Amino acid sequence: MNECKIIIMGFGSVGQGIAQAISLKKAMIKEKYGVELKVVAAADSSTSAINQDGLEEMLLIHSKNSEGNLSAYPEYGSNISGLDVLDAVDYDLLMEATPTNITTAEPALGLTLKAFDQGKDVVTSNKGHLAIKFKEVTKAAEKNGVEFKYEASVGGAMPIINFARETLSSCGINSIVGILNGTTNYILSRMSSEGSPYDITLKESQELGIAETDPTADVEGIDAACKTVILANSVLGIDATYDDVTVEGISNITSEAIELAHKDGYLIKLIAEVSKDTLKVSPRLVKKGSGYDISGTLNMATIKTDLAGDVTVMGLGAGSLETASAMLTDVISILKIKY
Amino acid sequence: MRMNLVLELLDVPGQLVSILEPISGLGANLVTVIHKRDAKNENGKIPVQLTLEGEKENLNRVVKKFDDLNITIVEKDGFINKEFVSTILIGHIVDNDVRDTTDKINALDGVFVVGFDIKLDGEEKSTALINLEVDYGKKQFAFDEIAKIADEKDLIMINEV
Repeated sequence: MNECKIIIMGFGSVGQGIAQAISLKKAMIKEKYGVELKVVAAADSSTSAINQDGLEEMLLIHSKNSEGNLSAYPEYGSNISGLDVLDAVDYDLLMEATPTNITTAEPALGLTLKAFDQGKDVVTSNKGHLAIKFKEVTKAAEKNGVEFKYEASVGGAMPIINFARETLSSCGINSIVGILNGTTNYILSRMSSEGSPYDITLKESQELGIAETDPTADVEGIDAACKTVILANSVLGIDATYDDVTVEGISNITSEAIELAHKDGYLIKLIAEVSKDTLKVSPRLVKKGSGYDISGTLNMATIKTDLAGDVTVMGLGAGSLETASAMLTDVISILKIKY
Repeated sequence: MRMNLVLELLDVPGQLVSILEPISGLGANLVTVIHKRDAKNENGKIPVQLTLEGEKENLNRVVKKFDDLNITIVEKDGFINKEFVSTILIGHIVDNDVRDTTDKINALDGVFVVGFDIKLDGEEKSTALINLEVDYGKKQFAFDEIAKIADEKDLIMINEV
């Protein structure tokens, strides 16, 4: 029986989702693909749990939630953290789910490059290193002959990168236009259905845990712009970085604007546009009842192709287990090639 | 009678034949056809000028057939077909001379303001929905030019996808 030894870096919402998804699906993966997934280490920002013989996924989640850190994991908890975790145990694949940092791209960048140097495959949900240094990171993977997959970085559970590159591989892709940020879509949907002003809706979204305490990355369009860069590079082959995107968020959208749009048969959505001529994130008018008319935290994207016409995908753009599902799919595609 | 049409075709083989074929079948005669493959418009399509001759009824059947085939008729007997689009402006619209804003938009070639709905929020910023009638194929031109006017007046502009 083949074995795939996994390190999970980052143990917030997505990291815990990975642990849960592995726990739920490892029997299926073993049966279907003949590979046993074994989590040999998991790390949060300052502690870790490491055991070469494997860790209990659900016990990792329990330890993190009861004590606040992974050093609480019985017997195998430790204070090793960051890059040192990659030296502390023998592993095959890094599942990287640390928080996105759009300024330095760390710790994702350092962890990913180190794993590549060690000849290990990497699956990530992080956007920082992809938005700032897409070329550098993907080239490093190529140079080291390892697999690097990042489906979860755009649209969470919504299939888009692998879908466009593999399922639509016969087509040339001209553009992608879509809603790539669930938080802003939730806020705009609520403003539209309740007629409530932006500030109050944002506050309510924060209370519900949909918007973060510091909502800047979402509401100012930064998150959607990172995804725009990732799609531009990975699907359209455009050599772009974050600075190439024109970005405008939703914080200036008034309830009056939403009301006027509504009267004229439109909704206001934060739309990302990816094409050779345009890399842009901005609030736009969309027709009610069109493919862009999705509410709540859903994401969608219309891929304009030369042969297949327009193809639209939709799905949950965030969430612990949802994002982890995209990462586990990436793991399975690596298993299919390498194991 | 004669009818002049300007159509728009995709730049792929067989398009011209596909529009010429129904003409004789519906009892109209083709007088002239001007097809310039190197003169693509902003949609990446090729304009084709046709002059047709025949009974009024037959010519109307040809026009209907083009509509059924989803072929865009840009111009018919010198009249340019129109598109209706909307845009929203947010900012100090009134303080920044609202009359001047609409005048500047109306001064754009082939762009007309046909609706203007403004909501004021006390001393705060106001929001306006502007309905525009634009000549076919000039939508992007209109949005680009209005964006410049909005930029000058520090207004946020929200366009259609």
